[in-house]
Amino acid sequence: MSKSEDESWLPKPSSRTAPFFEAASEGKLRLQCCDDCGTWTFPYRERCQHCGSRSIVWRDASGRGTLYSHGLLQRAYHPRHEDRLPIILAQVDVTEGVRLSTNLVDVEPDAVKVGMEVEVAFESLPDGSIIPVFRPATD
Amino acid sequence: MNHPMNGAAAVSGLGMTEMGRVYRSTIDLASEAVYLAIDDAGIDKSELDGLLINTGITRGLDLHLHVALGLQELNLLTFMQGYGSSAGQMIQYAAMAVANGLAKNVACVFADAPLVDGQRTGASYSGGRRFGGDALSSLHGLYGFTGAIPMFAMAAQRHMDLFGTTRDQLGQIAVSQRAWAGLNERATKREPITLSEYHDSPWVVEPFHVLDCCLVSNGAICVIVTSAEQARDGQQPPVYIRGFAQGHRHDTGQTVPDSAIRGPGSRSASRALAMADASLGEITQCQLYDCYTYTVLVTLEDYGFCEKGEGGAFVENGRLGPGGALPTNTGGGELSSYYMWGMTPISEAVIQGRGQAGERQSSNDLIICSGNGGMLNYHSTVVLSPETAS
Repeated sequence: MSKSEDESWLPKPSSRTAPFFEAASEGKLRLQCCDDCGTWTFPYRERCQHCGSRSIVWRDASGRGTLYSHGLLQRAYHPRHEDRLPIILAQVDVTEGVRLSTNLVDVEPDAVKVGMEVEVAFESLPDGSIIPVFRPATD
Repeated sequence: MNHPMNGAAAVSGLGMTEMGRVYRSTIDLASEAVYLAIDDAGIDKSELDGLLINTGITRGLDLHLHVALGLQELNLLTFMQGYGSSAGQMIQYAAMAVANGLAKNVACVFADAPLVDGQRTGASYSGGRRFGGDALSSLHGLYGFTGAIPMFAMAAQRHMDLFGTTRDQLGQIAVSQRAWAGLNERATKREPITLSEYHDSPWVVEPFHVLDCCLVSNGAICVIVTSAEQARDGQQPPVYIRGFAQGHRHDTGQTVPDSAIRGPGSRSASRALAMADASLGEITQCQLYDCYTYTVLVTLEDYGFCEKGEGGAFVENGRLGPGGALPTNTGGGELSSYYMWGMTPISEAVIQGRGQAGERQSSNDLIICSGNGGMLNYHSTVVLSPETAS
Protein backbone atom coordinates (compact mmCIF):
# COMPACT_ATOMS: atom_id res chain seq x y z
CA MET A 1 0.00 0.00 0.00
CA SER A 2 1.48 3.36 -1.00
CA LYS A 3 1.31 6.33 1.30
CA SER A 4 -1.38 7.99 -0.80
CA GLU A 5 -3.63 4.96 -0.46
CA ASP A 6 -3.08 4.80 3.25
CA GLU A 7 -5.99 6.68 4.73
CA SER A 8 -5.27 5.78 8.34
CA TRP A 9 -4.58 9.47 8.93
CA LEU A 10 -8.15 10.54 8.23
CA PRO A 11 -9.83 11.95 11.33
CA LYS A 12 -12.11 9.45 13.02
CA PRO A 13 -14.38 11.49 15.27
CA SER A 14 -15.60 9.99 18.52
CA SER A 15 -18.82 10.97 20.25
CA ARG A 16 -16.78 13.57 22.12
CA THR A 17 -15.35 15.27 19.06
CA ALA A 18 -18.09 14.62 16.46
CA PRO A 19 -19.76 18.05 16.94
CA PHE A 20 -16.67 19.77 15.53
CA PHE A 21 -16.75 17.70 12.34
CA GLU A 22 -20.56 17.75 11.99
CA ALA A 23 -20.40 21.54 12.15
CA ALA A 24 -17.70 21.65 9.49
CA SER A 25 -19.90 19.61 7.16
CA GLU A 26 -22.60 22.24 7.74
CA GLY A 27 -20.14 25.02 6.91
CA LYS A 28 -19.69 26.18 10.50
CA LEU A 29 -16.89 26.44 13.04
CA ARG A 30 -18.10 24.93 16.29
CA LEU A 31 -15.99 25.04 19.47
CA GLN A 32 -16.52 24.26 23.13
CA CYS A 33 -17.68 27.03 25.44
CA CYS A 34 -18.18 27.16 29.20
CA ASP A 35 -21.83 27.80 30.09
CA ASP A 36 -20.79 29.21 33.46
CA CYS A 37 -17.96 31.64 32.72
CA GLY A 38 -18.19 31.99 28.95
CA THR A 39 -14.61 30.93 28.22
CA TRP A 40 -14.15 29.16 24.89
CA THR A 41 -11.76 26.25 24.56
CA PHE A 42 -10.02 24.08 21.98
CA PRO A 43 -9.05 21.23 21.73
CA TYR A 44 -11.58 19.06 23.52
CA ARG A 45 -11.83 19.24 27.30
CA GLU A 46 -14.29 17.88 29.84
CA ARG A 47 -13.83 20.85 32.13
CA CYS A 48 -13.46 24.53 31.55
CA GLN A 49 -9.76 25.33 31.63
CA HIS A 50 -10.55 28.70 33.20
CA CYS A 51 -13.12 28.09 35.96
CA GLY A 52 -13.13 24.31 36.17
CA SER A 53 -16.85 23.99 35.44
CA ARG A 54 -18.16 20.85 33.78
CA SER A 55 -20.92 22.84 32.09
CA ILE A 56 -19.09 22.91 28.83
CA VAL A 57 -21.09 22.89 25.60
CA TRP A 58 -20.47 23.00 21.85
CA ARG A 59 -21.44 26.33 20.33
CA ASP A 60 -21.11 27.89 16.87
CA ALA A 61 -18.28 30.42 16.71
CA SER A 62 -18.20 33.48 14.49
CA GLY A 63 -15.60 31.91 12.23
CA ARG A 64 -13.67 35.16 12.14
CA GLY A 65 -10.33 36.06 13.62
CA THR A 66 -6.94 37.64 13.15
CA LEU A 67 -3.68 36.00 12.13
CA TYR A 68 -1.39 35.55 15.14
CA SER A 69 1.43 34.12 13.04
CA HIS A 70 2.24 32.10 9.96
CA GLY A 71 4.88 29.90 8.36
CA LEU A 72 5.37 28.17 5.05
CA LEU A 73 5.65 24.39 5.22
CA GLN A 74 8.18 23.24 2.61
CA ARG A 75 8.60 19.59 3.59
CA ALA A 76 6.03 16.82 3.62
CA TYR A 77 5.71 15.14 7.00
CA HIS A 78 2.17 13.86 6.43
CA PRO A 79 0.55 11.81 3.66
CA ARG A 80 -1.88 14.69 3.06
CA HIS A 81 0.95 17.06 2.11
CA GLU A 82 2.40 15.14 -0.81
CA ASP A 83 2.13 17.23 -3.98
CA ARG A 84 0.52 20.08 -2.05
CA LEU A 85 3.57 22.01 -0.86
CA PRO A 86 4.11 24.71 0.09
CA ILE A 87 1.31 24.90 2.64
CA ILE A 88 0.66 28.04 4.69
CA LEU A 89 0.65 27.21 8.39
CA ALA A 90 -1.35 29.64 10.47
CA GLN A 91 -2.25 30.40 14.03
CA VAL A 92 -5.56 32.20 14.10
CA ASP A 93 -6.93 34.04 17.11
CA VAL A 94 -10.67 33.64 16.61
CA THR A 95 -12.81 36.41 18.04
CA GLU A 96 -14.04 34.09 20.79
CA GLY A 97 -10.51 34.10 22.24
CA VAL A 98 -9.11 30.74 21.17
CA ARG A 99 -5.93 30.33 19.15
CA LEU A 100 -6.31 27.69 16.44
CA SER A 101 -3.48 26.00 14.56
CA THR A 102 -4.73 25.72 10.99
CA ASN A 103 -3.96 26.40 7.34
CA LEU A 104 -4.46 29.60 5.39
CA VAL A 105 -5.77 29.17 1.83
CA ASP A 106 -6.75 31.37 -1.15
CA VAL A 107 -3.80 33.73 -0.67
CA GLU A 108 -0.25 34.08 -1.97
CA PRO A 109 2.35 33.41 0.76
CA ASP A 110 3.96 36.83 0.21
CA ALA A 111 0.67 38.56 1.01
CA VAL A 112 0.31 36.93 4.42
CA LYS A 113 0.98 39.24 7.39
CA VAL A 114 0.53 38.97 11.13
CA GLY A 115 -2.66 40.75 12.17
CA MET A 116 -4.59 40.24 8.93
CA GLU A 117 -8.32 39.55 9.22
CA VAL A 118 -9.29 36.00 8.34
CA GLU A 119 -12.44 33.91 8.13
CA VAL A 120 -13.18 30.22 8.21
CA ALA A 121 -13.29 28.22 4.97
CA PHE A 122 -13.65 24.50 4.40
CA GLU A 123 -11.70 21.73 2.75
CA SER A 124 -12.77 18.22 1.76
CA LEU A 125 -10.76 15.13 2.64
CA PRO A 126 -10.65 12.00 0.46
CA ASP A 127 -13.40 10.28 2.47
CA GLY A 128 -15.74 13.24 2.03
CA SER A 129 -15.31 14.59 5.52
CA ILE A 130 -14.80 18.33 5.88
CA ILE A 131 -12.30 20.26 7.95
CA PRO A 132 -12.11 23.99 8.67
CA VAL A 133 -9.24 26.09 7.32
CA PHE A 134 -8.99 29.89 7.06
CA ARG A 135 -8.73 32.43 4.25
CA PRO A 136 -8.40 36.23 4.12
CA ALA A 137 -11.65 37.91 5.22
CA THR A 138 -13.84 38.73 2.23
CA ASP A 139 -15.72 41.72 3.67
CA MET B 1 22.46 40.34 51.66
CA ASN B 2 24.03 37.21 50.29
CA HIS B 3 21.62 34.45 49.31
CA PRO B 4 22.52 31.22 51.17
CA MET B 5 22.64 29.29 47.88
CA ASN B 6 24.95 31.80 46.15
CA GLY B 7 28.11 29.74 45.71
CA ALA B 8 27.06 27.05 48.17
CA ALA B 9 27.50 24.28 45.60
CA ALA B 10 29.77 23.69 42.62
CA VAL B 11 30.27 21.47 39.63
CA SER B 12 33.13 19.10 40.39
CA GLY B 13 32.87 16.60 37.56
CA LEU B 14 31.95 16.51 33.88
CA GLY B 15 31.58 13.43 31.71
CA MET B 16 30.83 13.59 27.99
CA THR B 17 30.58 10.64 25.64
CA GLU B 18 31.21 10.80 21.92
CA MET B 19 28.30 12.58 20.21
CA GLY B 20 26.52 12.18 16.91
CA ARG B 21 25.81 9.02 14.94
CA VAL B 22 26.89 6.78 17.78
CA TYR B 23 24.69 3.71 17.62
CA ARG B 24 24.74 2.63 21.25
CA SER B 25 21.90 2.26 23.71
CA THR B 26 20.82 5.25 25.74
CA ILE B 27 21.56 3.40 28.96
CA ASP B 28 25.10 2.47 27.84
CA LEU B 29 25.76 6.08 26.86
CA ALA B 30 24.39 7.33 30.18
CA SER B 31 26.51 4.87 32.16
CA GLU B 32 29.66 5.87 30.31
CA ALA B 33 28.97 9.57 30.97
CA VAL B 34 28.58 8.88 34.70
CA TYR B 35 31.84 6.90 34.85
CA LEU B 36 33.64 9.63 32.91
CA ALA B 37 32.31 12.26 35.31
CA ILE B 38 33.40 10.25 38.36
CA ASP B 39 36.92 9.94 36.92
CA ASP B 40 36.94 13.62 36.05
CA ALA B 41 35.92 14.57 39.59
CA GLY B 42 38.49 12.20 41.07
CA ILE B 43 36.01 10.40 43.30
CA ASP B 44 35.27 6.74 43.78
CA LYS B 45 31.96 5.33 42.60
CA SER B 46 31.11 4.53 46.23
CA GLU B 47 31.18 8.28 46.95
CA LEU B 48 28.40 8.92 44.46
CA ASP B 49 25.28 9.12 46.62
CA GLY B 50 22.89 11.06 44.42
CA LEU B 51 21.57 10.42 40.91
CA LEU B 52 19.21 12.61 38.88
CA ILE B 53 18.17 11.21 35.51
CA ASN B 54 16.72 12.87 32.42
CA THR B 55 16.28 11.60 28.89
CA GLY B 56 15.24 12.99 25.54
CA ILE B 57 12.81 12.26 22.74
CA THR B 58 13.31 8.49 22.65
CA ARG B 59 12.74 8.10 26.40
CA GLY B 60 15.53 5.54 26.55
CA LEU B 61 16.29 6.01 30.25
CA ASP B 62 14.28 5.56 33.37
CA LEU B 63 14.83 5.31 37.09
CA HIS B 64 16.61 1.98 36.69
CA LEU B 65 19.82 3.57 35.46
CA HIS B 66 21.12 3.13 39.01
CA VAL B 67 20.96 -0.64 38.53
CA ALA B 68 23.18 -0.50 35.45
CA LEU B 69 25.56 1.65 37.45
CA GLY B 70 25.51 -0.70 40.46
CA LEU B 71 24.78 2.10 42.91
CA GLN B 72 23.65 0.66 46.23
CA GLU B 73 24.21 3.59 48.60
CA LEU B 74 22.12 6.33 47.05
CA ASN B 75 20.67 9.00 49.31
CA LEU B 76 18.98 10.84 46.44
CA LEU B 77 17.44 9.32 43.31
CA THR B 78 14.84 10.53 40.88
CA PHE B 79 13.90 10.57 37.22
CA MET B 80 12.85 13.99 35.99
CA GLN B 81 11.38 15.56 32.90
CA GLY B 82 11.19 19.25 32.12
CA TYR B 83 12.19 18.91 28.46
CA GLY B 84 14.92 21.37 27.55
CA SER B 85 14.81 22.97 30.99
CA SER B 86 15.67 19.64 32.69
CA ALA B 87 19.46 19.95 32.77
CA GLY B 88 19.30 23.31 34.51
CA GLN B 89 16.67 21.93 36.86
CA MET B 90 18.84 18.93 37.79
CA ILE B 91 21.73 21.25 38.67
CA GLN B 92 19.37 23.25 40.87
CA TYR B 93 17.94 20.30 42.80
CA ALA B 94 21.44 18.82 43.15
CA ALA B 95 22.80 22.12 44.46
CA MET B 96 20.06 22.35 47.08
CA ALA B 97 20.60 18.72 48.07
CA VAL B 98 24.36 19.01 48.60
CA ALA B 99 24.07 22.37 50.35
CA ASN B 100 21.62 20.90 52.84
CA GLY B 101 23.27 17.61 53.56
CA LEU B 102 20.86 15.34 51.70
CA ALA B 103 23.69 14.00 49.55
CA LYS B 104 27.40 14.68 48.97
CA ASN B 105 28.00 14.00 45.29
CA VAL B 106 25.03 14.15 42.93
CA ALA B 107 25.36 12.97 39.33
CA CYS B 108 23.00 14.75 36.93
CA VAL B 109 22.81 12.79 33.69
CA PHE B 110 21.15 13.26 30.32
CA ALA B 111 21.30 10.68 27.54
CA ASP B 112 19.43 10.12 24.30
CA ALA B 113 19.83 8.15 21.09
CA PRO B 114 17.37 9.53 18.52
CA LEU B 115 19.65 8.74 15.57
CA VAL B 116 18.93 5.25 14.27
CA ASP B 117 21.15 3.54 11.70
CA GLY B 118 19.52 3.74 8.28
CA GLN B 119 16.96 6.38 9.28
CA ARG B 120 17.05 10.03 8.33
CA THR B 121 18.32 12.49 10.92
CA GLY B 122 15.03 13.96 12.04
CA ALA B 123 13.04 10.73 12.03
CA SER B 124 12.71 10.41 15.80
CA TYR B 125 11.55 14.01 16.11
CA SER B 126 9.21 14.23 13.13
CA GLY B 127 8.60 10.75 11.78
CA GLY B 128 7.12 7.58 13.12
CA ARG B 129 4.09 9.57 14.21
CA ARG B 130 0.65 8.13 14.55
CA PHE B 131 -1.54 10.00 12.15
CA GLY B 132 -4.70 8.51 13.59
CA GLY B 133 -5.72 8.78 17.20
CA ASP B 134 -8.16 11.29 18.57
CA ALA B 135 -9.78 13.13 15.67
CA LEU B 136 -9.02 16.65 16.89
CA SER B 137 -5.41 15.75 17.70
CA SER B 138 -5.02 14.18 14.28
CA LEU B 139 -5.82 17.56 12.71
CA HIS B 140 -2.52 18.89 14.02
CA GLY B 141 -0.44 16.67 11.75
CA LEU B 142 -2.91 17.08 8.91
CA TYR B 143 -2.51 20.86 8.96
CA GLY B 144 1.29 20.40 9.07
CA PHE B 145 2.15 20.98 12.71
CA THR B 146 4.62 18.14 13.20
CA GLY B 147 7.34 18.40 15.84
CA ALA B 148 8.54 21.69 17.27
CA ILE B 149 9.80 23.36 14.09
CA PRO B 150 6.48 24.85 12.86
CA MET B 151 5.69 26.54 16.16
CA PHE B 152 9.16 28.06 16.55
CA ALA B 153 9.24 29.08 12.90
CA MET B 154 5.92 30.88 13.36
CA ALA B 155 7.18 32.50 16.54
CA ALA B 156 10.15 33.84 14.58
CA GLN B 157 7.81 35.00 11.80
CA ARG B 158 5.70 36.95 14.29
CA HIS B 159 8.87 38.61 15.58
CA MET B 160 9.79 39.48 11.99
CA ASP B 161 6.35 40.86 11.12
CA LEU B 162 6.07 42.91 14.32
CA PHE B 163 9.63 44.21 14.68
CA GLY B 164 11.15 43.99 11.23
CA THR B 165 13.63 41.31 12.27
CA THR B 166 15.30 39.98 9.13
CA ARG B 167 16.35 36.61 7.79
CA ASP B 168 19.92 37.94 7.68
CA GLN B 169 19.76 38.57 11.40
CA LEU B 170 18.62 35.03 12.19
CA GLY B 171 21.40 33.85 9.89
CA GLN B 172 23.99 35.85 11.85
CA ILE B 173 23.28 33.63 14.86
CA ALA B 174 23.90 30.45 12.84
CA VAL B 175 27.08 31.90 11.28
CA SER B 176 28.50 33.08 14.66
CA GLN B 177 27.89 29.75 16.32
CA ARG B 178 29.43 27.80 13.45
CA ALA B 179 32.53 29.95 13.81
CA TRP B 180 32.72 28.91 17.47
CA ALA B 181 32.23 25.25 16.52
CA GLY B 182 35.33 25.46 14.37
CA LEU B 183 37.27 25.91 17.60
CA ASN B 184 35.63 22.95 19.33
CA GLU B 185 36.95 19.51 18.45
CA ARG B 186 33.84 17.91 19.96
CA ALA B 187 31.56 19.79 17.56
CA THR B 188 29.76 17.81 14.86
CA LYS B 189 29.64 20.64 12.29
CA ARG B 190 32.91 22.57 12.17
CA GLU B 191 33.15 23.88 8.61
CA PRO B 192 32.57 27.64 8.64
CA ILE B 193 29.42 28.90 6.90
CA THR B 194 28.72 32.25 5.26
CA LEU B 195 25.46 34.16 5.39
CA SER B 196 24.99 33.28 1.74
CA GLU B 197 25.37 29.55 2.48
CA TYR B 198 22.85 29.98 5.29
CA HIS B 199 20.35 31.42 2.81
CA ASP B 200 21.03 28.57 0.39
CA SER B 201 20.31 25.96 3.06
CA PRO B 202 17.03 24.11 2.31
CA TRP B 203 13.78 25.38 3.77
CA VAL B 204 11.97 23.39 6.41
CA VAL B 205 9.20 25.74 7.48
CA GLU B 206 9.81 29.31 6.31
CA PRO B 207 11.35 31.40 7.80
CA PHE B 208 13.49 28.46 9.01
CA HIS B 209 16.17 26.85 6.90
CA VAL B 210 17.81 23.61 7.98
CA LEU B 211 20.59 25.81 9.38
CA ASP B 212 18.13 27.51 11.76
CA CYS B 213 17.51 24.16 13.43
CA CYS B 214 19.59 22.28 15.96
CA LEU B 215 21.40 19.05 15.25
CA VAL B 216 20.13 15.67 16.32
CA SER B 217 22.71 13.78 18.37
CA ASN B 218 23.18 10.52 20.19
CA GLY B 219 25.25 10.77 23.35
CA ALA B 220 25.23 11.49 27.05
CA ILE B 221 26.53 14.11 29.44
CA CYS B 222 26.88 13.86 33.21
CA VAL B 223 27.64 16.69 35.61
CA ILE B 224 28.56 16.05 39.24
CA VAL B 225 27.48 18.61 41.80
CA THR B 226 29.01 18.79 45.25
CA SER B 227 29.33 21.33 48.06
CA ALA B 228 31.58 24.34 47.46
CA GLU B 229 33.75 23.19 50.34
CA GLN B 230 34.32 19.75 48.87
CA ALA B 231 34.77 21.10 45.35
CA ARG B 232 37.72 23.21 46.51
CA ASP B 233 39.57 19.99 47.32
CA GLY B 234 38.56 18.36 44.04
CA GLN B 235 40.63 17.26 41.10
CA GLN B 236 39.20 19.93 38.79
CA PRO B 237 38.91 23.69 39.21
CA PRO B 238 35.51 24.23 40.86
CA VAL B 239 32.79 25.95 38.91
CA TYR B 240 30.52 27.55 41.48
CA ILE B 241 26.76 27.58 41.14
CA ARG B 242 26.03 31.19 41.90
CA GLY B 243 22.38 31.58 41.07
CA PHE B 244 19.46 29.72 39.58
CA ALA B 245 15.73 29.87 38.95
CA GLN B 246 12.97 28.47 36.77
CA GLY B 247 9.95 29.87 34.97
CA HIS B 248 7.11 27.87 33.47
CA ARG B 249 3.83 28.73 31.79
CA HIS B 250 1.37 27.41 29.26
CA ASP B 251 -0.37 29.15 26.42
CA THR B 252 -4.00 28.70 25.52
CA GLY B 253 -3.96 31.71 23.26
CA GLN B 254 -6.21 33.50 25.72
CA THR B 255 -4.02 34.38 28.64
CA VAL B 256 -0.57 34.96 27.13
CA PRO B 257 -1.12 36.95 23.94
CA ASP B 258 2.56 37.54 23.22
CA SER B 259 3.73 34.02 23.99
CA ALA B 260 5.69 33.67 20.74
CA ILE B 261 7.86 36.67 21.48
CA ARG B 262 7.99 36.71 25.28
CA GLY B 263 9.07 33.62 27.20
CA PRO B 264 9.24 32.85 30.92
CA GLY B 265 13.02 33.35 30.71
CA SER B 266 12.68 36.94 31.78
CA ARG B 267 11.36 36.00 35.21
CA SER B 268 13.79 33.10 35.52
CA ALA B 269 16.90 35.15 34.66
CA SER B 270 16.12 38.06 36.94
CA ARG B 271 15.58 35.73 39.90
CA ALA B 272 18.75 33.77 39.13
CA LEU B 273 20.77 36.99 38.94
CA ALA B 274 19.26 38.19 42.21
CA MET B 275 20.43 34.98 43.88
CA ALA B 276 23.91 35.55 42.42
CA ASP B 277 23.79 39.15 43.67
CA ALA B 278 24.81 40.18 40.17
CA SER B 279 23.53 42.41 37.42
CA LEU B 280 23.16 41.48 33.77
CA GLY B 281 26.02 43.82 32.92
CA GLU B 282 28.41 41.59 34.86
CA ILE B 283 27.70 38.59 32.62
CA THR B 284 30.77 37.92 30.49
CA GLN B 285 29.43 35.09 28.34
CA CYS B 286 26.16 33.32 27.53
CA GLN B 287 25.42 29.65 27.02
CA LEU B 288 21.87 29.74 25.72
CA TYR B 289 19.57 26.92 24.73
CA ASP B 290 19.46 27.14 20.95
CA CYS B 291 17.05 24.57 19.57
CA TYR B 292 16.60 27.22 16.84
CA THR B 293 18.36 30.46 15.95
CA TYR B 294 15.25 32.29 17.11
CA THR B 295 15.49 30.76 20.59
CA VAL B 296 18.81 32.56 21.07
CA LEU B 297 17.35 35.85 19.88
CA VAL B 298 14.26 35.68 22.07
CA THR B 299 16.28 34.57 25.12
CA LEU B 300 18.73 37.49 24.73
CA GLU B 301 15.72 39.82 24.71
CA ASP B 302 13.91 38.08 27.57
CA TYR B 303 17.08 38.17 29.67
CA GLY B 304 17.35 41.90 29.04
CA PHE B 305 20.55 42.12 26.98
CA CYS B 306 18.52 44.32 24.64
CA GLU B 307 14.98 45.65 24.45
CA LYS B 308 12.16 43.44 23.22
CA GLY B 309 12.14 43.61 19.45
CA GLU B 310 15.76 44.71 19.14
CA GLY B 311 17.31 41.24 19.22
CA GLY B 312 17.83 41.23 15.46
CA ALA B 313 20.04 44.31 15.50
CA PHE B 314 21.73 43.07 18.68
CA VAL B 315 23.09 39.86 17.10
CA GLU B 316 24.50 41.64 14.03
CA ASN B 317 28.18 42.28 13.29
CA GLY B 318 29.39 39.13 15.02
CA ARG B 319 28.53 40.30 18.52
CA LEU B 320 27.92 36.70 19.64
CA GLY B 321 30.81 35.10 17.77
CA PRO B 322 34.55 34.72 18.37
CA GLY B 323 36.00 38.13 19.19
CA GLY B 324 32.52 39.58 19.70
CA ALA B 325 31.42 41.65 22.67
CA LEU B 326 29.13 38.95 24.09
CA PRO B 327 30.56 35.46 23.48
CA THR B 328 27.54 33.19 23.17
CA ASN B 329 27.35 29.42 22.70
CA THR B 330 31.10 29.24 22.50
CA GLY B 331 31.19 25.53 21.73
CA GLY B 332 28.95 25.95 18.70
CA GLY B 333 25.76 25.31 20.62
CA GLU B 334 23.01 22.91 19.68
CA LEU B 335 23.04 24.35 16.16
CA SER B 336 26.60 23.22 15.43
CA SER B 337 28.21 21.19 18.23
CA TYR B 338 25.85 18.58 19.69
CA TYR B 339 22.23 18.46 20.82
CA MET B 340 22.15 17.14 24.37
CA TRP B 341 19.12 19.25 25.26
CA GLY B 342 19.94 21.52 28.23
CA MET B 343 23.25 19.76 28.84
CA THR B 344 24.71 21.44 25.74
CA PRO B 345 24.83 24.91 27.34
CA ILE B 346 25.66 23.53 30.80
CA SER B 347 28.60 21.41 29.62
CA GLU B 348 30.14 24.27 27.66
CA ALA B 349 29.70 26.57 30.66
CA VAL B 350 31.56 24.08 32.87
CA ILE B 351 34.42 23.80 30.35
CA GLN B 352 34.59 27.60 30.09
CA GLY B 353 34.24 28.07 33.85
CA ARG B 354 37.25 25.82 34.42
CA GLY B 355 39.28 27.73 31.86
CA GLN B 356 39.68 24.58 29.77
CA ALA B 357 38.18 25.81 26.50
CA GLY B 358 41.51 26.22 24.71
CA GLU B 359 41.32 28.41 21.62
CA ARG B 360 37.74 29.35 22.32
CA GLN B 361 38.28 30.28 25.98
CA SER B 362 36.36 33.47 26.72
CA SER B 363 36.13 35.71 29.73
CA ASN B 364 34.43 33.46 32.27
CA ASP B 365 33.86 35.68 35.31
CA LEU B 366 30.11 35.15 35.22
CA ILE B 367 28.37 32.76 32.83
CA ILE B 368 24.61 32.62 32.32
CA CYS B 369 23.06 29.39 31.01
CA SER B 370 19.50 28.90 29.82
CA GLY B 371 17.38 25.83 29.25
CA ASN B 372 14.17 25.93 27.23
CA GLY B 373 11.45 23.33 26.84
CA GLY B 374 8.28 23.24 24.80
CA MET B 375 7.30 26.32 22.83
CA LEU B 376 8.92 28.73 25.31
CA ASN B 377 6.91 26.98 28.04
CA TYR B 378 9.54 25.59 30.41
CA HIS B 379 12.62 27.54 31.37
CA SER B 380 15.60 27.21 33.70
CA THR B 381 18.52 29.56 34.31
CA VAL B 382 21.84 28.76 35.99
CA VAL B 383 24.59 31.29 36.71
CA LEU B 384 28.09 29.77 37.00
CA SER B 385 31.48 31.24 37.87
CA PRO B 386 35.02 30.14 38.74
CA GLU B 387 34.76 32.61 41.63
CA THR B 388 32.72 31.91 44.72
CA ALA B 389 30.44 34.53 46.23
CA SER B 390 32.33 37.47 47.73
